[in-house]
Amino acid sequence: MRLEVLNPYPAVASLIHHRYLLGQLIKRDVLLRYRGAMFGVLWIFLSPLLMLAIFAFVFGHIFQARWPEQREGLPFWLMLYCGLIVFNIFGETVSRATTSVRSFPSYVKKIIFPLDILPLVPLGSALVHAFFNFLILFAAAAWTGNLSPGILLFPLLLLPVVLLGVGAAWFLAAWGVFIKDLTQVVPLLVQMLMFLSPVFYPANAVPEALRPIYNVNPLGSVIEAVRSTVVGTSVPWLAWAASLALGTLVATLGHAFFQHSRDEFADAL
Amino acid sequence: MRSDDIAISARNVTKTYRLFGHPNDRIKQFFALGLRRYHREFTALQGVSFDIGRGETIGIVGRNGSGKSTLLQLISGILKPTSGSVTANGRVSALLELGAGFNPEFTGRENVYFQGAIMGLSKAEMEPRFDAIATFADIGEFIDQPVRTYSSGMFVRLAFSVAVHVEPDILLIDEVLAVGDAIFQQKCFDRIYQLQSRGVSIIVVSHNPYQIERLCHRAAVMRKGSLSPLRPARETLSLYRELVHQDMAPVPITAMEHRDGTHDLHFEQVFIEGASDTADGSYRTNASLRIVADMRAEYPLDNVRIRFELCSATELIAMISTIGLTEEKCFHGRHRIAFNMPRCQLTTGRYHINAVAVGKNIRLDTWQRAAEFSVLLKDETALNLSGDNGIYVCQGDWEIA
Repeated sequence: MRLEVLNPYPAVASLIHHRYLLGQLIKRDVLLRYRGAMFGVLWIFLSPLLMLAIFAFVFGHIFQARWPEQREGLPFWLMLYCGLIVFNIFGETVSRATTSVRSFPSYVKKIIFPLDILPLVPLGSALVHAFFNFLILFAAAAWTGNLSPGILLFPLLLLPVVLLGVGAAWFLAAWGVFIKDLTQVVPLLVQMLMFLSPVFYPANAVPEALRPIYNVNPLGSVIEAVRSTVVGTSVPWLAWAASLALGTLVATLGHAFFQHSRDEFADAL
Repeated sequence: MRSDDIAISARNVTKTYRLFGHPNDRIKQFFALGLRRYHREFTALQGVSFDIGRGETIGIVGRNGSGKSTLLQLISGILKPTSGSVTANGRVSALLELGAGFNPEFTGRENVYFQGAIMGLSKAEMEPRFDAIATFADIGEFIDQPVRTYSSGMFVRLAFSVAVHVEPDILLIDEVLAVGDAIFQQKCFDRIYQLQSRGVSIIVVSHNPYQIERLCHRAAVMRKGSLSPLRPARETLSLYRELVHQDMAPVPITAMEHRDGTHDLHFEQVFIEGASDTADGSYRTNASLRIVADMRAEYPLDNVRIRFELCSATELIAMISTIGLTEEKCFHGRHRIAFNMPRCQLTTGRYHINAVAVGKNIRLDTWQRAAEFSVLLKDETALNLSGDNGIYVCQGDWEIA
């Protein structure tokens, strides 16, 4: 490949040009999921709320779990929820990305369509859900009396996850057109990755010897950073910035790869 | 043509599809890095070149699978050519398949806006156009119903309406005009004339020669991936008719023969005799023709009636001729009978013969599609007649006062 694939501009330009269409696609994606359900779009609130209630019950009352080295402040289930919000953005995007192009053969073959925005739809829809999750987190933190001003940095800190997610989504969407098995494999990998990310435990609970390998996972530093702001401790900015740089690279390469392989989509579908 | 007057330009465009026996072969091919081949190749388009000017309407005719749709997909940028280049200057609106991109769960209104969004128009830009789109589609209150409840006619009307109201510079229409009723088709024509006068370039793919002739300035025939030069529509259409005629031979109609009866008297063979001087063995209109049958009767039979039916490809019986044999003349053993036509008064097309023999209230042998032949109307006396209308060339005298 030539060096110009490292230019992120085409991806950004396409995104800006088609922002309205992308917005419509995301809106449809979210609405279609709840269309016909009795509570409708209310589920966007209800399902994370129910999940959080169960977390609180199981981890707070049954296990009485405590975050290592933490004496007071945010209860365990909110610490966990915090990491989960971040991880789910990536997990949901990546799991659904494999079918994001393949399930619209008519967009590929029958109409003139900016295909490169299709893998962004699962991301957008994951972000919409993350927004409501965040509102619940905010309310729960306030309710338990642990609101720190740092929580407002939350959305900004997500940037590396967004970039990593969309980069991976472009790769997976393109491969997904040719390799159907990805639909089975990716959710498994996502689940594995979740346990290898500091969602249920802090990164410093990992044995010192394994730390260098463990820290390769760029999601880890983002989850740690987000949790630090919510708790009100110092943010590991350097690791976060590294993730941001890696995210930018992955997104740029992902878009280049997607555009490179899209010529073959019509033949394969 | 000046270069800024050219809307679409194709240079030596070739499109080859790789056909994989199994989806996994595609992945193997990817990792083989060209060292091995896991596919066959199919060339859908071969060295196609043309220039289409602004405001020009081009018709493309050709049989199914000749590459017409591939060409439109290449122009619209959905496919990339394997070699050569296609450039389209301006916004392309393509109607390649009815309502592709419509989501059946959403209402007509939602789909109109969404379709606009796909073509790069925001909601604010679509709003002033919406009423015109709805009026043109003329689907009344259904505009606020989910598209899945639409009839196919309503579907195509809405899809067409959107495509022609987004102010395209280039409009590609693939065989979709056939769906609407006559009134809607007239509306489509009027709208296309309007677009033409505004300088929109249009490519119409159609099997309907009438549409091509009415709409298009120039036309070309697509045949096995090659495009004929663009010529005035009328010339191209008559070329196309001849090509269709030539291509028709491969499937013999006698393969679909059908027989029944007692076979006490039966046809051993039925064939056509006549002087054929065309390359493909068809007979000229007004040439003499002879239908011959060899027959065999197992025992003496009288009161036999024999009939030849001459049918067109559309199973229309064009002509019948019957002979009734009286008691004096009875059939026994082998006989050859023939019917002589001094002038074959048929137009261009393929025809077949049904041979029927009946006795007293008994069907002896009916042999459908016993023989076939084709006729080419290319006679000095009928030089300027178009060959695709009618099946019978009437003999008679003209009077001009």
